[in-house]
Amino acid sequence: MNYYIEPIARLVNELSRLPGIGNKTAQRLAFHIINMPEEHVKSLAKAIDEVKGHIKYCNICGNISEEDTCLICKSPIRDQSTICVVEDIRDVMAMERTREYKGLYHVLKGTISPMDGIGPDDIRIKELLHRVQDDSIKEVIMATNPNIEGEATAVYISKLLKPMGIKTTRIAHGLPVGGDLEYADQVTISKALEGRREM
Amino acid sequence: MHLKELNLVNYRNYVNLELSFSSNLIIFSGRNAQGKTNILESIFLLCTGRSHRTPRDSELVLWGEKKSMVRSLVEKKEGPSLIEIMLSLSNNKKIKINSSIAQRIGELMGHMNSVLFSPEDLKLVKGSPRERRRFMDIEISQVKPKYFYSLQQYNRLLNHRNNLLKEINQKSSLRKTLPVWDEQIAKVGSYVIMQRLEFINSIKKIAREIHDQISLGRESLEIRYNPSINFDSSDESGIMEEYLENLESNHEEDIKRGRTSKGCHRDDISIYINDMDARTFASQGQQRTTVLSLKLSEIEMMFRQTGEYPLLLLDDVMSELDKYRQAKLLSYFDKVQTFMTVTDYSELPKDMDSNMEIYEVFEGKVARV
Repeated sequence: MNYYIEPIARLVNELSRLPGIGNKTAQRLAFHIINMPEEHVKSLAKAIDEVKGHIKYCNICGNISEEDTCLICKSPIRDQSTICVVEDIRDVMAMERTREYKGLYHVLKGTISPMDGIGPDDIRIKELLHRVQDDSIKEVIMATNPNIEGEATAVYISKLLKPMGIKTTRIAHGLPVGGDLEYADQVTISKALEGRREM
Repeated sequence: MHLKELNLVNYRNYVNLELSFSSNLIIFSGRNAQGKTNILESIFLLCTGRSHRTPRDSELVLWGEKKSMVRSLVEKKEGPSLIEIMLSLSNNKKIKINSSIAQRIGELMGHMNSVLFSPEDLKLVKGSPRERRRFMDIEISQVKPKYFYSLQQYNRLLNHRNNLLKEINQKSSLRKTLPVWDEQIAKVGSYVIMQRLEFINSIKKIAREIHDQISLGRESLEIRYNPSINFDSSDESGIMEEYLENLESNHEEDIKRGRTSKGCHRDDISIYINDMDARTFASQGQQRTTVLSLKLSEIEMMFRQTGEYPLLLLDDVMSELDKYRQAKLLSYFDKVQTFMTVTDYSELPKDMDSNMEIYEVFEGKVARV
């Protein structure tokens, strides 16, 4: 990249390390930044600089937060008796977008995956078990992804929770809403068939 | 099922090959190493998404090129289907079915079916259990996409479990996660067992009849499914329970060895000729007859399951068979479109169908005779 002057080369290089951004997009962004008014550039740099220092992880659920406890865990209007277990912080955002779920969350930050050397002690299962000691928890919803590792994690946790007398449920998987049966692949349809319920 | 057109671009030793077929018997004739089998391989690739000779797609791309494309037009009962596979050195292969991109290889299954018979298939009788599992898997996958998907899942689960077993040796507290994998393996595994059981049950009758004809009533062929899991149940949920018990009772040994000693990955098929185990006792001739019976049964099975005959690919096998068996094989040409390779077409039986297409293959060039 010797056709760039050094400061631009450095910026392009940094930007292209972001996910979903290749060399060309990085170059476009870099030249856009050069043409931006100075105060915009400063506030962008400031925002990036500060984000790391101001972000904490909720000491209860593991979600991102500005304070020690996140807004969801602190909220008095949320249902304190239900916990939804997800793999990742982004899954919390996805669930929140529904505006339907009123309970609490628990972010595992990963799944059990022996192929990658990740065991139950490497994700936040201990913290979950600690939380459910509290008698007010009535139901735990397992919302890990419907793949092999997500399924194994859900099964493992449910095995630990059941003897404690806590209702453990698994989110359904099958056909997407608004989708056409004819466009779904055979595996999805057979999964949906397995999970059918009486009407 | 009828293959109408085949187009290979930068595939193996072909720069650009365009062929169109109108008859039911297509013969590729030529000396060794001219590219005859490459054509059959490309047809097999279009059916199953993989080559029968190599697991590495990069070997299929013409030397010095980066990309390669194979395309076929098949005429089926329900109409024509256009299948394209793009191979590249750097990326995964891309599959298009009727111009729309397939999301996974499994979608390809069932659009174009074939039965391949090559000299390596003689290993089916005396080779390792892996060969016989492959025979079942390719066959069932072509008609049942869920089976193919389940096998992929099974292998991934097994990989996880084996890794875990090795880790338990270092850190015994991980042992409490073992039941989680057992459960999932039992679930997928019992489905695989059911499908294999069903497959063997239906193929064994057909194979016995065909073998009886080919051997002129002198030999009786018996095929048995030989699962690694012990079970008495006949339904999937019962097998699942027993599968789980099998896994649990082997925990100690599995941990010691660091791998899973029982399961679908160790299944086998037993073949008996006149009540003798073919694996140890079959002669060269009996092996050939047995493989021929199995392959012809595959064709019948596919017809029964899909209502359509698959394509038959014969790679240099005519020379392996005697005149009577050749004639038996030839009797299929009127209903099954057959592609075969021979070193010299003038040596074929004289009474063969005159309505055939012969191509001479020489150094990557194909010419109609």
